[in-house]
Amino acid sequence: MLDGILTGLSTAASPLNILMVAVGCFAGTFIGMLPGLGPISAIALMIPITYGFDPATGLILMAGVYYGAIFGGSTSSILINAPGVAGTVATAFDGYPMAKKGHAGKALAIAAYSSFSGGTIAAVFLLIAAPSLAVVSLAFQSTDYFALMVLGLTAVAAFAGRGNVIKALLMTVFGLMLSTVGTDETQGIQRFTFGMIDLIDGISFLLLAMATFALSEALMSVLKPKTEEEKIREKDANANLGSMKLSRDEVKEMVPVIGRSSVLGFLVGVLPGAGATIASFLAYGMEQRIAGPEKGREFGKGSVRGLAAPETANNAACSGSFVPLLTLGIPGSGTTAIMLGALISYGIQPGPRLFVENPEVFWSVIISMYLGNVILLVLNLPLIPYIARVLALPHTVLVPMILFFSLIGVYFVSFNTFDIQLMVIFAAGALVLRLLDMPMAPMLLGFILGGMMEENLRRALIINNDSWAFLWTRPLTFAILVTAALILFVPMLSPFVKRSLARRREAAGEGG
Amino acid sequence: MLTRDRIGALIMLAFSLGYGAMIFNIPLLPFQANQAFTARTLPQALSILGVLLSLALLLKPLRGTARDDDAAWRANMKRLLTRVPGLGFPLGKVAMLCVVMVLYGLAVRPLGFLLATTLFLVTSMLILGERRHVMALSVSVGVTVFFWVLMTQFLDVYIAPLPTFIGR
Repeated sequence: MLDGILTGLSTAASPLNILMVAVGCFAGTFIGMLPGLGPISAIALMIPITYGFDPATGLILMAGVYYGAIFGGSTSSILINAPGVAGTVATAFDGYPMAKKGHAGKALAIAAYSSFSGGTIAAVFLLIAAPSLAVVSLAFQSTDYFALMVLGLTAVAAFAGRGNVIKALLMTVFGLMLSTVGTDETQGIQRFTFGMIDLIDGISFLLLAMATFALSEALMSVLKPKTEEEKIREKDANANLGSMKLSRDEVKEMVPVIGRSSVLGFLVGVLPGAGATIASFLAYGMEQRIAGPEKGREFGKGSVRGLAAPETANNAACSGSFVPLLTLGIPGSGTTAIMLGALISYGIQPGPRLFVENPEVFWSVIISMYLGNVILLVLNLPLIPYIARVLALPHTVLVPMILFFSLIGVYFVSFNTFDIQLMVIFAAGALVLRLLDMPMAPMLLGFILGGMMEENLRRALIINNDSWAFLWTRPLTFAILVTAALILFVPMLSPFVKRSLARRREAAGEGG
Repeated sequence: MLTRDRIGALIMLAFSLGYGAMIFNIPLLPFQANQAFTARTLPQALSILGVLLSLALLLKPLRGTARDDDAAWRANMKRLLTRVPGLGFPLGKVAMLCVVMVLYGLAVRPLGFLLATTLFLVTSMLILGERRHVMALSVSVGVTVFFWVLMTQFLDVYIAPLPTFIGR
């Protein structure tokens, strides 16, 4: 392991890679701050740039963007109560009231310190967990991989929230369907290409991600015109941030919160399907309970704990979500899915082999996380008042720029103008689905896992002489599939269970 | 009643059925037809799953908070389809932006990168209601030239800058 750390250190500490972490954090903060554009869009927009570098540098850049985007999202949550990303919605609960009291600078500082500690502590966990899990996962066969992908896809749907499970599953299937467009890899048969040469290679993941995220998110923001109140808030935001210094008591209050929230955030991040958003809400809820009735009442009115908890947890979850990506090659969220897509297009197969074949990628990403967190703290914190000006940029200029960068990012990879037309079609489709409140992240995850899933299933069938029995005879495969089924069906059944329990209790109450 | 979820379900149902119908166009060689897993297997499973899930969403009863969600969604849709004085329809703007993007795709080769991009940026800014024409033009030209210099001079990506009829 020490070998690995040294390899990672020597790769990550090259001047180019340090520069890339800085660029990534900076660009991510910038994009994440724009309300409506999330980390998936931020990473998608940066991918065309990474094609010029080697894989380790590319992944380091993307990890920086991911952190930066979450950090930038919390800035807009605190300053204008408009979370740039879903993972920072909980930050606005206490961050915005604190800013309203005139302590915007303090709120930003708390957010930055919590993010830093959460990210750094979770990176230590990652350093320990990832290599050991990678060793275990070497024993996995294609049948287990197939089962793991099923687990990943169902988990994303299951964590989609109440009333959204069917929708999320439907979108996952939609993504899987899109992944079947193109030439079938094993048999060389064209599927759903309509005889078009441009579709023989299938739909490029970058194109799909740009169209369904960056483009359609930018178009969605046109549909949500700013209210007068928001405009005033944006103007106020830059006027006076107040001091960024924290008192000793506040630091004392933060420390235990950060400790607990990092562990929680990391664990939630490791779970497939649950990411920064769920981690931040869970941490907020947990701290409110721990704080007790007296302190708990401060929550929502500018509590230090209420701000530190979700900020720590969302960054810790970001680090945690790299565990399944780096060790199993299975992304647990839309954001890591897009990183997986990028890795595959660099020609790297993530998974247990990554640890063996490309140790420099594996370790340098982990090491660069420390760097990323340090840069966020020392570079972004002092610059925040200036970066925050981006919030005041008029939409009329910003939206065309995002459209341009998305289109040109895809065009400069393929130099095929058909891609631009295809992007517009997908963006328009995604816009309709977004207007109908259909979740897009499961679609992206399904699309990226689709090809790998079919390949593994087919290989499993060949190994097992065309018999499907491996699904229940191989214990590991069976166990993973059962877990997937449980994750999916237990929450669906819980309302019924609760109702029948309540009924029983009522009956008992009447009887006694 | 045609609720938000049911519209989504109907769209996905139509898509799944269309996708399912197109599976028959996937050619299979005679010896492949009897294999346990062919190029058609996964698409078939997916189209069946798609149909089942869309039907489940379509038939899901509307209860409790879902009803309020739907009412809020309806009001929001109404707003998007109402004309804002001086600004036009919000959805109309998005449609125009899509048209401009398609045109940009068609124009970027024949008109060259510099001209096509500048035109694209200026038009989309105007569509979004930017009134400061000089500012819009200067920002567009600035971004276009900066990007072109960055790509060709520093990242070694060749892009034809000028219209084809002037030469490259």
